[in-house]
Amino acid sequence: MDRREALRILGAATAAPLVSRDLYALGNDARERWRARPGFRALDAQQQLLVQTLTEAIIPATDTPGAKAAGVDQFIDVMLADWYDPADRQTFLDGLADVDARCKTATGKAFTDADATQQTALLTTLDDELARLRATHQKTDKNFWHTLKWLTLTGYYTSQVGFEQELHARIIPGTYDPCRMLDASTRTGGN
Amino acid sequence: MAKTYDAIVVGSGITGGWAAKELCEAGLNTLVLEAGRPVNPDTDTVEHVPVWQMKFRGNNDRKARLARQPIQKTCYACDEMANKFFVDDIDNPYTVEDGKPFSWIRGRQVGGRSIMWGRQTYRWSDLDFTANAKDGFGVDWPIRYADIAPWYDHVEQFVGISGQAEGLAQLPDGQFLPPMPFTCAETHVKDGVAKYWGRDRVVTIGRCAVLTEQHNGRAACHYCGPCHRGCVTRSYFSSINATLPAATATGKLTLRPFSVVHSVIYDPKTKRAAGVRVIDAQTKHPIEYRGRVVFLCASALESARILLNSTSPEFPTGLANSSGQLGKNVMDHCMGGGADGTIPGYEDRYEYGNRPNGIYMPRFRNVKDTSPNFLRGYGYQGGGGRGGWGRGVDEPGFGADFKRGLKGFGPWNFSFYGFGECLPRPENYVELDPQKTDAWGIPALKIHVAWSDNERALLKDMSVAAAEMLSAAGATDIRPFVQNNAPGLTIHEMGTARMGKDPKTSVLNANNQAWDVPNLFLTDGACMASSSCVNPSITYMALTARACAYAVSAMKKNEL
Repeated sequence: MDRREALRILGAATAAPLVSRDLYALGNDARERWRARPGFRALDAQQQLLVQTLTEAIIPATDTPGAKAAGVDQFIDVMLADWYDPADRQTFLDGLADVDARCKTATGKAFTDADATQQTALLTTLDDELARLRATHQKTDKNFWHTLKWLTLTGYYTSQVGFEQELHARIIPGTYDPCRMLDASTRTGGN
Repeated sequence: MAKTYDAIVVGSGITGGWAAKELCEAGLNTLVLEAGRPVNPDTDTVEHVPVWQMKFRGNNDRKARLARQPIQKTCYACDEMANKFFVDDIDNPYTVEDGKPFSWIRGRQVGGRSIMWGRQTYRWSDLDFTANAKDGFGVDWPIRYADIAPWYDHVEQFVGISGQAEGLAQLPDGQFLPPMPFTCAETHVKDGVAKYWGRDRVVTIGRCAVLTEQHNGRAACHYCGPCHRGCVTRSYFSSINATLPAATATGKLTLRPFSVVHSVIYDPKTKRAAGVRVIDAQTKHPIEYRGRVVFLCASALESARILLNSTSPEFPTGLANSSGQLGKNVMDHCMGGGADGTIPGYEDRYEYGNRPNGIYMPRFRNVKDTSPNFLRGYGYQGGGGRGGWGRGVDEPGFGADFKRGLKGFGPWNFSFYGFGECLPRPENYVELDPQKTDAWGIPALKIHVAWSDNERALLKDMSVAAAEMLSAAGATDIRPFVQNNAPGLTIHEMGTARMGKDPKTSVLNANNQAWDVPNLFLTDGACMASSSCVNPSITYMALTARACAYAVSAMKKNEL
């Protein structure tokens, strides 16, 4: 898209939902390349399934898609493979193993084989442990559950699904309204 | 012998762009030399790239930044999309003294740092121009507000500044486009502070070089937000969006990218600058260009570096350095004292769109009263908005209810973030490092800069006063802070070739002209004799336009 086209779209104004979609088209090639990338590099199949289950438990499918549909597991694999240092990657993988170990102790099953109630009980324990770290002003950056939540929220809300379908956000708002009324029914912004 | 240009401008950033426009429009054949590559706003800007197309989703390529941009990455704007607008720290090294860190944030490309700048634009007042004379730090400015006011008008009319006139002596009003509006939290704090302090402490909307309506053929802002990644609609001011196209339109401009200026050539017979020595950035071959007048607009530290590297029997310590002041008196604003607080209420409201601007509170210390704790003063930037999904990382919970909660917004927060005036002191200086050179064989700078007790006292007061105002405005959960930012990180470095009234104690005269070399002008941050506490770029622009007008008139009279 050249400048004239961008100006036409932007000038057409203020709010057609089409606006952002047209601009997204700019990057379609990159997105396709991204989707076509080879498989997982940091997580083995077992670990991937566990990450998928855990992230979906944090951000489940509701009236909008959840973490699994948004490909959060794929994002986490990229971060583990190329962003983290080896020691931090290992801390995360050890955290995954610990989840399974604790689940087996409690239920005799791997986390992905446990039923929903058992899963929720273990995750509630992890969440409570993190809350205690915070309450006592201890460091949270090495805590597995904290890292997983950060990765899950980042992966979800920066995905196209999270950005467009969940948050109704726009790359080009077109206008600025600093004190707009929230949508009365959803208590959310966006459209 | 190469062709002789009427004018050579070194650098294409915010001042180089202005010099190019003013000199070309005056009819001079002008050569602009830029060290970096060309940038095309139609194809090279990245402000609309969706975050999900980025490999690390906006978390930057951590390892690549550590390897090649360990210094640049400390700047918020050197993000996963925009890091290409910042230099490679390995190719562009500098050194510091042990225990004196300095963050030199640089952009080498056509447009320079005007592509990623913060766009805040505030006029100086006579409170600033008389500061050195009053307390004895530095040397007195050779100009006053009346000398520069018409040039502020001149540049503002072209740039397009949105802002609100306030009638304050310490922050003169300018030529403003309509102001951007406040959020609920900002109106709340503005009113709360006004109740206690009246017109002594004013919360106004930031004055910024972002268009709120169409202006000089550039479109109004569409509120996408991340201006530092460029702007395909040219809605904020930069060299590539505004001044360089105007210079190009005259037919007088020759722009040469990939031209690393090594030094200025001095002709002892004429006692003038004859031209510049350039290293071609790609081939590394040396080239010389001749010009009747030379404008250094390479940034405060780069322009000083070029002159320090321009030695001759007449100027053994650097060209135009008979005063010994070249490279000295480095300043940067001390930033990062302030406070955050939560603003109760307004829960049924949210902010639609990404305003590329915040609030501003003009200086109030040492304006009417006199502080016992420090000289000069500071202003605040800041603003008020609601938290998004990121708050969920530090909140308990998971599952459907957790997700539903994050779809909405957190409470309204408000933040005051101070920027303080830095005293001009000769102990803060740069020199050429005797060992280290850059990728083009040019000596690197060794930078010796540290904050003094005065800047530390300002930072502390910023924090205390911010907390006090938030409290008066009814904020809750008030969190004061004092950051420990290295000098340089504010990216307002200046002062290395100060203007003055006396050639014995200053490098430049009242027209930004080198006392020692009449056809040599420095109009970037190097020229500043003091720092004020306001963002400096609009002052550099006004001084550049003013110096160009002087140079053109002197050339016509054959005085250069």
